[in-house]
Amino acid sequence: MNAAQLIPTPDVLQVPWGWFQVLLTVTFFMHLVVMNILLGCSIITFLRHASGKSTDVNKAIAGKLPLTVAFTVNFGVAPLLFLQVLYGNFMYTSSVLMAIYWLSIFAIVIFAYYGAYIYTMNYDRIVDYHTVLTGFIAGSLLAVAFILTNNLSFMTNVEAWPAYFNNAEGTLLNFTDRSLFPRYLHSVLGAIAVGGLSIAFYYDLKKRKGDTEAEANIKIGMNWFAGATMLNFGVGTWYWGLLPDSVRSLTGNGSAFFLFFLVLGTVTAILSLIYGLRHKVRPAVYYLLGSLFSMVLVREFARRLTLAPWFKTSDLEVVPQYSPMIAFLVSFAGGLWLIWYMIRLVLTDKEVNS
Amino acid sequence: MNYPVWLLDMFGGGTLIALIAVIHVYVSHFAVGGGLFLVVTEMKGLRENSPAILDYTKKHTRFFLLVSMVFGGLTGVAIWFTIALLSPAGTSSLIHTFVFAWATEWVFFLGEIVSLLLYYYYFNKISSRNHLILGWIYFGCAWVSLFVINGVIDYMLTPGEWLNDNNFWTGFFNPTFWPALFFRTFIALMIAGLFGFLTSVNIKDPEMRHKMTRYCGIWLMAPLVFLLASAVWYKAALPPAQQEMIFTTSPEMKIFLSGFIYLSPVLFAGGLIIAALRPQAVRRPMALFLFLLGLMYIGCFEFMREGGRRPYIIHEYMYSNSILKADLPEYQEKGVLQTAKWVKNRKITPDNRLAAGSELATLLCLPCHSTGGPLNDMLPIARRFTPEGFEAFLGSIGTANPYMPPFAGTKEEAVVLAEYLTTGLIPGLIPHAPVITPVTVAPKPFDPESSEYILLAGAAIGNYLSSTPEESGLDISFGAPLLRAQLIFRDVSPSLILEDATVSYKIQTGKGMLEGTMEATDAYFEAQLAEMPAPLTPFQPFFIAELQAEVEGKIVAVTQTKIGVSTEIGCRNCHGGRYNKEGRGGMTRVTAAGILASHDKRSNTNLSAEFAKGKTVVCSSCHADSSRGTEGKPGLLSLSAAIHGYHAGFISDTERDVCVLCHSSNENGASHSFDGIHKQLDLTCSNCHGILAEHATSLLKQEGENGQATKLLSYLQDKGEVATAEINPRIPWIMEPDCLTCHVEFQPPETDTAFNTWTEDGEELFHNRTGEAGVVLCSSCHGQPHSLYPAKNAYGKEIGALQPLQYQKNPFPIAADKGCAVCHTEDMEDEMHHPGSLATFRNRD
Repeated sequence: MNAAQLIPTPDVLQVPWGWFQVLLTVTFFMHLVVMNILLGCSIITFLRHASGKSTDVNKAIAGKLPLTVAFTVNFGVAPLLFLQVLYGNFMYTSSVLMAIYWLSIFAIVIFAYYGAYIYTMNYDRIVDYHTVLTGFIAGSLLAVAFILTNNLSFMTNVEAWPAYFNNAEGTLLNFTDRSLFPRYLHSVLGAIAVGGLSIAFYYDLKKRKGDTEAEANIKIGMNWFAGATMLNFGVGTWYWGLLPDSVRSLTGNGSAFFLFFLVLGTVTAILSLIYGLRHKVRPAVYYLLGSLFSMVLVREFARRLTLAPWFKTSDLEVVPQYSPMIAFLVSFAGGLWLIWYMIRLVLTDKEVNS
Repeated sequence: MNYPVWLLDMFGGGTLIALIAVIHVYVSHFAVGGGLFLVVTEMKGLRENSPAILDYTKKHTRFFLLVSMVFGGLTGVAIWFTIALLSPAGTSSLIHTFVFAWATEWVFFLGEIVSLLLYYYYFNKISSRNHLILGWIYFGCAWVSLFVINGVIDYMLTPGEWLNDNNFWTGFFNPTFWPALFFRTFIALMIAGLFGFLTSVNIKDPEMRHKMTRYCGIWLMAPLVFLLASAVWYKAALPPAQQEMIFTTSPEMKIFLSGFIYLSPVLFAGGLIIAALRPQAVRRPMALFLFLLGLMYIGCFEFMREGGRRPYIIHEYMYSNSILKADLPEYQEKGVLQTAKWVKNRKITPDNRLAAGSELATLLCLPCHSTGGPLNDMLPIARRFTPEGFEAFLGSIGTANPYMPPFAGTKEEAVVLAEYLTTGLIPGLIPHAPVITPVTVAPKPFDPESSEYILLAGAAIGNYLSSTPEESGLDISFGAPLLRAQLIFRDVSPSLILEDATVSYKIQTGKGMLEGTMEATDAYFEAQLAEMPAPLTPFQPFFIAELQAEVEGKIVAVTQTKIGVSTEIGCRNCHGGRYNKEGRGGMTRVTAAGILASHDKRSNTNLSAEFAKGKTVVCSSCHADSSRGTEGKPGLLSLSAAIHGYHAGFISDTERDVCVLCHSSNENGASHSFDGIHKQLDLTCSNCHGILAEHATSLLKQEGENGQATKLLSYLQDKGEVATAEINPRIPWIMEPDCLTCHVEFQPPETDTAFNTWTEDGEELFHNRTGEAGVVLCSSCHGQPHSLYPAKNAYGKEIGALQPLQYQKNPFPIAADKGCAVCHTEDMEDEMHHPGSLATFRNRD
């Protein structure tokens, strides 16, 4: 069977694809940062509890986990929306093929979310269950990450789609893609690195406010960051080796950008690591954010190169209607102002400051 | 047809989305109304300077956060995931139309999260003024989220002018946008009260508990009046066709409509009770009970709203099986298997019929139906049908079954799909044509030399149908057979003997011998049987009546005739059950129950309950039936008009002889009741009666302005070759196709279409009509309608022509081939019976 004939016909866009690509990239970056903090910190907390290291770090993470879940979910909505606009014909298909797992995400996240609240609200009362509970939260989020990695890779693995004709019950996974596991591992290690750095960043803030005990915790965070990042160079290389030829050959349309951002992402990651090893938190954060953003772009170009034989977003038909986008951009700006206003309202409140 | 279909089996048919959506909708409305509840309750606490109320508000905020933000937020994502899995094409269309609406809703979702977290974490930590500002911001964000999503949801229900201009704003501010927004706002406030009960009944201080529970009661009850007013507005804003779909056409909607109507006062009363009664033993369970009622309440509404879209996902734009309305003709021309993308069996071959049928079912049926699940289960439907019945049914979807999309495939695909949905889904249901075991009946002896009389006899029609009411509990049978006989004294000028003669009959039935004497009229002897004779065993679709004429106490003539009575009535093709007479005939109670359930569902009757009590339901007791002489109830269609009119909408195939799905003349059936000369000449029912749609139209038009007839006629507009406006109305059983339409002046026909010219009254009916001499009944020489000589009955070649074989040793009409000697003792030269009566019989093998 010619798998290409299975690719659904895409729908019409209201504005040129580039708008959606920008929105997708920006919002995915926002999601990636918060999601990495959530996943990384969950794993770190679990491993610390499991190894008997129940210190202030764990409690600090516990207090922030539910918030992180909330923003991870919220920040995940927007890129998923824009991804569906550009690549819906691929993503809906892969989602159907692995429907059971895909739909289970919401249930798993709900459990993890409530687990996070139980962990936060009862931290001192359930000491004996910290390992189990954080293990459950981290395990759940790892499962969600695995499902997401599967779907995002399955949607571009068109040759694997005909497996549907032998299994239409939504229980397929993208195991025929050899890059699945290194890709997943790359993401998880990246999350641990970001999680570690976020811990260091949190204590760096405290240190700047005069917390004398923060330094030790900065070290804890930085060690996680550095260790995970170093491992990820190896895993990243492994992942590179298993990418499709259309990506690795560096001959496709956009390959130059792909290579540029790959190099940029790698260099900034190295710089971030160097600063990390020196416990220079803020430079490490800046370079890591730069590296993450570069890698988001690498990821976008890799997807475009993978799908190039079948699909180009530039070929999508456009029937222009700009006013809805303008309305959105206005509301987006207004929403950001509102958030800023609320935070300012709280932080400048006399009772808080008294 | 762009995307693969997720095989959900029992969780299909909307079960999954119903489970997730109804719960989410409940919680998401709580997220809106509950936001206002929080800030207003906090204001109340501040106004009354009540730390207890503020404390309650804070605790309720925590509950609110955990329910609305965690559960509500995630189930909202889950709905998105679910609709994308169940209808990727529909979701893609929505996303591409309203991406910026959703993006805007995301912004306000973010605003909700930030404001709610700040509101919760800074309770009692910032000034009341600032805290209230956070609360109002939360409510504002939540309400704007509702505003945005409401536009998308109601676009699906009533896209309005968007269908013409494809403009975002036209679709967003669609015809039901505003009433729906008000409706949802008020229901959100009610739900705030219902959730409020859950926390207020657990306040420790009894007085505060009582106070806050009453307070929550106001939240529940006060918006109800406005809610109902906006519901009326909402209904009025719906286009008439969609109002009809929800409130009339879709029987499945009744339970939700009733639920919504009845739960409104129940919730109000519940609010009063919980506010008035103080004991915790009452209040706590009552709070939970009302909470669950609220879930049902909004569930009923959502089911109705979804029902109003039928058979579309996006009304008038995309059908529920994801086929665009504009693309339907292409699918019907090229076929689903050729047009859809995710298809393995592109061509139907003898080896892949079931597999192809399965793929068609996956693509066309499973988007809405489950297999074995609680909602829209296909299996009970499939069990009701035979393949032929299902094939006919597929032709009715989209018209007589307007809540389903029109069948999108070709004729061949309909056959294959019907096979799969019956024999493929239901184990053991493999239809096969019954083996006919011959029945030996020898014609009575006749000596042309010595016999002074001949006796000609037959039934008024050749094929009666019986629903075996004693066994089935449903009497939809024709009127009992009417026997006619003419005794003729053989002479140069034969005479009809009516006086000083008696004609008696004996019929072997399933309950013994039925005997009687026929009454003499001024033209024939006649016996109206009191009831349909009990069927014979083994299965036999006719009885043999033995007739005997006596003159002055002496037997002067004997003969036999077939009385065609079949229990092979095809209701089971679509209404379930199997035949109980050796699998060949005999309606079962299962079939009868299926028919009555459909009748109850469609016509708001309660016949199933009567049936369940053991009462035999007699159709003609309500619907006038000339064959039984009943007048029926005023305002109801005649039985013939109702039966044919209703079923013509479902059995819309205009090419096949679909009459055999119900009547006992199927080539593959057990009765072969249509066995006369017209059958030998390859004429079918439609040559005389029109195709089913035409036949039904003629009967429905006779009903005049009856609203039911008008509605049924609307499904049949110009379905046949004769335009609806040109079809002449007719009274069933009395105004029938006239033989002389084809046989003009008794001559060989120049047309094979007798439809639309009816006998004017009963006198012109074949069994009442005589030849030009006005003495001998047409039927005496030609046999019975549908079994005209030379009839070739499947059970034995003699059976259809017993009298011709008895009197003239050939199966042709009496006196054919100048066989005047049957009655006349010398050759005749004048065609006194009718022109052509001395001609040689034309249609020999």
